[in-house]
Amino acid sequence: MKDHSTTLSSMQRTITRINKIDEAELFLLKKRIDFATYFVIFLIAILIIRLWFLQVHKGFDYGRLSENNRIRVLNIVAPRGNIMDQHGIPIITNRPCFNVIWIREDAPNPEIVIKRLSKILNEDISVLLDRIRASADNPRYMPLRLKEDIDWKTLVFIENNHFNLPGVRIEVLPTREYLHGDLASHLIGYLGEINKEELQESKGGIYQGGDQLGKMGIEKLQEQYLRGEKGRSLLEVDVHGFEQRQIELEDPLPGNDLYLTIDIELQKIAEEAMADKAGAVIAMDVNTGRILAMASSPPLNLQEFIGGISSKSWKSLLDNPLHPLTNKAIQGQYPPASIYKIISALAGLGEEIVTPQTVFYCTGSMPFGNRNYRCWKKNGHGAISLKRALAESCDVYFYQLGQKLNVDTLAKYAASFGLGQKTGIELENEKPGLIPTAAWKLKEYKEPWQEGESLSIIIGQGFDLVTPLQVCQMMTAIANGGIIYRPQLIERIVNIDDMIIKEFTPIADSRALVLPANLQVIRDALISAVNDEHGTGEQAKLEHITVAGKTGTAQVVHLSQNKDLADEEIPYKYRDHAWFSCFAPAEKPEIAVTVLIEHGSHGGSVAGPIAKKILEKYFNIPQAPPNTKQPKG
Amino acid sequence: MLHFDRRLLLNFDWAIILTVLVIAGMGLLNLYSATHSAEPYAAAFVRQLYFYLLGFAGIMVIISFDYRLFVTANYPLYITIILLLTIVLFFGNAVSDTQRWLNFGFFRLQPSEPAKLVLVITLASYYYRKDTGLGFTLKELVVPLLLTGLPFLLILRQPDLGTALMLIFIFISMTLFVKLKWSTLSVLIGACASMLPIGWLYLLKPYQKQRILTLFNPELDPMGSGYHILQSKIAIGSGMMFGKGFLKGTQVHLDFLPERHTDFAFSVWAEEWGFIGSLFFLACYFFLILMGLNIAVASRDKFGVLLAFGIVSLLFWQAFINLAMILGLLPVVGMPLPLFSYGGSSLLTTLAGIGILLNIRMRRFMTSTGD
Repeated sequence: MKDHSTTLSSMQRTITRINKIDEAELFLLKKRIDFATYFVIFLIAILIIRLWFLQVHKGFDYGRLSENNRIRVLNIVAPRGNIMDQHGIPIITNRPCFNVIWIREDAPNPEIVIKRLSKILNEDISVLLDRIRASADNPRYMPLRLKEDIDWKTLVFIENNHFNLPGVRIEVLPTREYLHGDLASHLIGYLGEINKEELQESKGGIYQGGDQLGKMGIEKLQEQYLRGEKGRSLLEVDVHGFEQRQIELEDPLPGNDLYLTIDIELQKIAEEAMADKAGAVIAMDVNTGRILAMASSPPLNLQEFIGGISSKSWKSLLDNPLHPLTNKAIQGQYPPASIYKIISALAGLGEEIVTPQTVFYCTGSMPFGNRNYRCWKKNGHGAISLKRALAESCDVYFYQLGQKLNVDTLAKYAASFGLGQKTGIELENEKPGLIPTAAWKLKEYKEPWQEGESLSIIIGQGFDLVTPLQVCQMMTAIANGGIIYRPQLIERIVNIDDMIIKEFTPIADSRALVLPANLQVIRDALISAVNDEHGTGEQAKLEHITVAGKTGTAQVVHLSQNKDLADEEIPYKYRDHAWFSCFAPAEKPEIAVTVLIEHGSHGGSVAGPIAKKILEKYFNIPQAPPNTKQPKG
Repeated sequence: MLHFDRRLLLNFDWAIILTVLVIAGMGLLNLYSATHSAEPYAAAFVRQLYFYLLGFAGIMVIISFDYRLFVTANYPLYITIILLLTIVLFFGNAVSDTQRWLNFGFFRLQPSEPAKLVLVITLASYYYRKDTGLGFTLKELVVPLLLTGLPFLLILRQPDLGTALMLIFIFISMTLFVKLKWSTLSVLIGACASMLPIGWLYLLKPYQKQRILTLFNPELDPMGSGYHILQSKIAIGSGMMFGKGFLKGTQVHLDFLPERHTDFAFSVWAEEWGFIGSLFFLACYFFLILMGLNIAVASRDKFGVLLAFGIVSLLFWQAFINLAMILGLLPVVGMPLPLFSYGGSSLLTTLAGIGILLNIRMRRFMTSTGD
């Protein structure tokens, strides 16, 4: 009670304190209230004038409109942005697509109309009724789509008979036109009809049911730039749903154009070269990280996805042993095999375990523990230096290095070149690959690291897994002096007025753990690998341009029963994966190319020629007749 | 015990109460008409009636203490409302992608509504305390700007563009009302000109307007705001001079008119009661505003003047923006018509504001009687 009275008295004090009046100031405030009053009168007068205008002046017109209130809103879908290659050559544009739509409220006798339509569209009545039922919750004035992309003849027929088809309209929608078929299909992705979840997620009423939006790849990731903005048209219709006049028209705003970093000619060559194979090809600008070509084979058939893919085709895609749904450039994980020897050599040099002059002796195999570790060359390389060991891909040299190199140290070098981690390219579901460490092994297998495993991973087998894009990124770093550029696919986004909305500049993510001198040793070795007599990458040799590269042959399974069989006799799924990764010109590198052929057997002979074709196109060299020399590991 | 002065009762402003009752009557009639045909809304009329009763009880509570108590209570109130706005962002009920409501079972509170009134009280107290009569400089405006900016951003996050803009209108009105240095004023006018939606929305291209509005206001119907406005204009216009008569509106009882019992309530009124009915409604509202301003003029205490002015500007701007939007003069934002639109939070807030006006009016002769 006492507390209560003290608070009360303190309140009273406050009140007394604030009661001081400054008459002059109050007078000024009150003058401003007069002004506010006039302001209020002014604004209310505006409202009254507007009411007069609507209700008395225009009242009759509005009265008529309300009597048969038949205002229809038709959204005008904006054409999506085009997708071009780096030179502005269009890859994907739009074409008009004619759809049959149906406005329930304008159809007095739906049964008869649907029956007629079913004949005209050559579509079962139940199919049409299903579509109508699917949108039963929408207001009756909302148009719903009965059939997409009708042909010219049907269109003309419907237009000529539209008096017999009340409530039926033709809607013209821009739809995707794939100018180059399935070119770059894994990158560009496809469109599909918006689903319930996407509709709920989308904010601001940008989408309605029935809208198309990107479902995969760039179409999905750059949806916000590509989609543009809808326009709308307000129409007055009569009781039969026939258009009387247009009340208002708001034009759609076309989507922004995307300029990819892809060079369409290189992309074509890459995809043609891969036509009968499964695998991935990547060409990258070594000084910016821009992707010049990225192909994954087999490609997706984009036409199949227009208007929704059937569950049958979807299942056959899933069941296809060549996995067309995977973008193998970023989602395929393979042992890097001999390509990894680049990292092993750099780690050996960096840790000063070997020097460029260190010579080991290769007899064709090396016993370790209770196993015999073999070199791919049965008779051995004899006394061999680091440079030759890389160029000729001698396994025994690296087994000896592996005995002295700690697994975690090796992993540190690999990681600094971006292996075993996502590159951060703007595509979905990129896979990280795997570079093992002792701690990883303990965690995954509850076992400590075995020394024998070091001999496997140092030649890029065993636990090692990388994606072709990681290998290509590593090769750009070898070429450009150790800078890890984030691979980029989009060069710029340009709006309808040709103004650049977003420009993508090269992003140097990090620097590889390497000394310039050591890098030079590796580069020399890679030049030898392609250009010297015993090099494994001879198949990619060019006439006037020095190519530097490395082959790899990744074992899929270690089956002793296969070891004496010829390549063709081994079952397809047990054949080795073929790698080739290179850059050119070696003196002043511009482009890096990486090729992976699933179950392609030998890196040099299968993957090498594909890289060569891309380089020839890039440097504008006329195609040379195919090389018939014997392939090497 | 608080001593109750008989003079308080003598100064009770019956005219205001009467006007509020008339507007309430119109609002309830209109709500009944707008919702009687749709089953799920049948309860709206009864609920609104309960909110009116609750609101009038609230007015009785508010007039029982001296309004100058708000000078001391302003920061606790402010902090409470900021907390509520923060809580609603994290735990609020999401309705069509917006986080606006706190669910109390029987009642879903929309804290952004009382926030408007609390901002009025806060700014009135601040300007009352700081004003030296020499005019404010830009530097001295930093604190009130922050006081406005915090709830503004929280409400914008919900997102609720209409209510957030209302806070800006309150800030501008009240700040212009207290004296500003000329230099401050000119800088502010420059800044305001770029902020006022009337200004900028008409400079932008239609698609840009649409983009900005849909960005902050997901309530916009996917069919496009043009459709709503057109339907609203048809409803109002077709009312013509004398209206179609109570319950006889055609436009409103079909599905054409969106939000017909909340933001677009006046369209229903204008259709059924015509130009004459609309004029009567505006007259009542104008009378209420004038009496509110009169209370500000009559108050002998600077805090009272500021507070009364703030509450009147809150009432007026909401009504004006709502009506201008319905009449197709301003773009669509979520903005209720005070005392008229269906919605408990808005109604209770407005009635609380009316209560404070009555309170200021009752105590206008009590400036030196602090016994």
